[in-house]
Amino acid sequence: MRIKLLLSGVVAAGLGGLMAGSAPSVAHHAFAAEFDGNRPVNLTGPVTRIEWINPHAWIHIDVKNTDGTTTGWMVEGGTPNTLLRRGITKDSLTIGTVIVVRGYQSKDGLCKPKCRANGRDVTFPDGRKLFMGSSGTGAPKDGSDPEDASKQ
Amino acid sequence: MLNEVLLTFAQWLGAQQWSTGLHESFYMYNWIETTHVLTLTVFLGMLFVIDLRMLGVALTDVPASKIAERLDLPMMIGFTVMIITGLLLFYAIPVRTTQSVWFRLKVILLIAAGINAWIFRNRMKAAKPTWDLDPVPPKNVRIGAGLSLTLWIAIIFAGRAIAYDWFDCGKDQSAFLNWAAGCVADVAAH
Repeated sequence: MRIKLLLSGVVAAGLGGLMAGSAPSVAHHAFAAEFDGNRPVNLTGPVTRIEWINPHAWIHIDVKNTDGTTTGWMVEGGTPNTLLRRGITKDSLTIGTVIVVRGYQSKDGLCKPKCRANGRDVTFPDGRKLFMGSSGTGAPKDGSDPEDASKQ
Repeated sequence: MLNEVLLTFAQWLGAQQWSTGLHESFYMYNWIETTHVLTLTVFLGMLFVIDLRMLGVALTDVPASKIAERLDLPMMIGFTVMIITGLLLFYAIPVRTTQSVWFRLKVILLIAAGINAWIFRNRMKAAKPTWDLDPVPPKNVRIGAGLSLTLWIAIIFAGRAIAYDWFDCGKDQSAFLNWAAGCVADVAAH
């Protein structure tokens, strides 16, 4: 009896969680805590390293500046699972691939060890543009997240 | 010195195949984190009812021992799963977590909550013949219950904050924060 009660409680909690999280991917943390919606960045460069890790993957790219120098950037994406579902995998995104990433820089503006940004979408050399972030984080509605449109 | 040892241990842990596997997993990490959050609500849901009874603000017409005994099993089930999934979350990301000021705060608070619970349990055991039917338990019991509530709420906040990069090692921040986080060297933020 007691166990039955406990189990129904757990099930109820699970259902509640499902309803609260009806957005397809619930973010690990809010956008505004770490990133600045008023600092959009548009980065082009070859991928130097990818951390396929939870709770956020990080794509490192080398961006060439106009004066010839290079700045290292690391761009935060969704979970490996989110990226997989969007078509961004170890096979499709390899080291050396030149990509264009749109996103927003970190609030602290710190470039040590690398400049950091929250990635919104990534454009591949063949022109494919894929959303690389998480939905429902409070990031600016800039059209990069296909979920934004479907919810309106 | 201690921080170097902790970091070396964390790096050894993080280099293990299963740790990396969890860190890079498509499903397991998400399931473990979700289970951690759901079971901590089971544990704390039960604990808070007991604490509120011991504070004399809830279910005052039910004997204190009865509430504690009835809720003990689901509370301990929630606690056990919460601890196991919590350890697995640490196992997945040991290096960053070891140098997180929030995680360190959480561990200290957890130890304090553990000591408080142990003292509290002993007082509870002694309670049956004396104040079990009193709507408002004696002061030392109420202090224990208040501490328990406060500590666990603080643990939740500290645990939640681990997800954020506030005060991560490598940021431009005070020497005190670097000390508190146990920053050893410029290890990457992740």
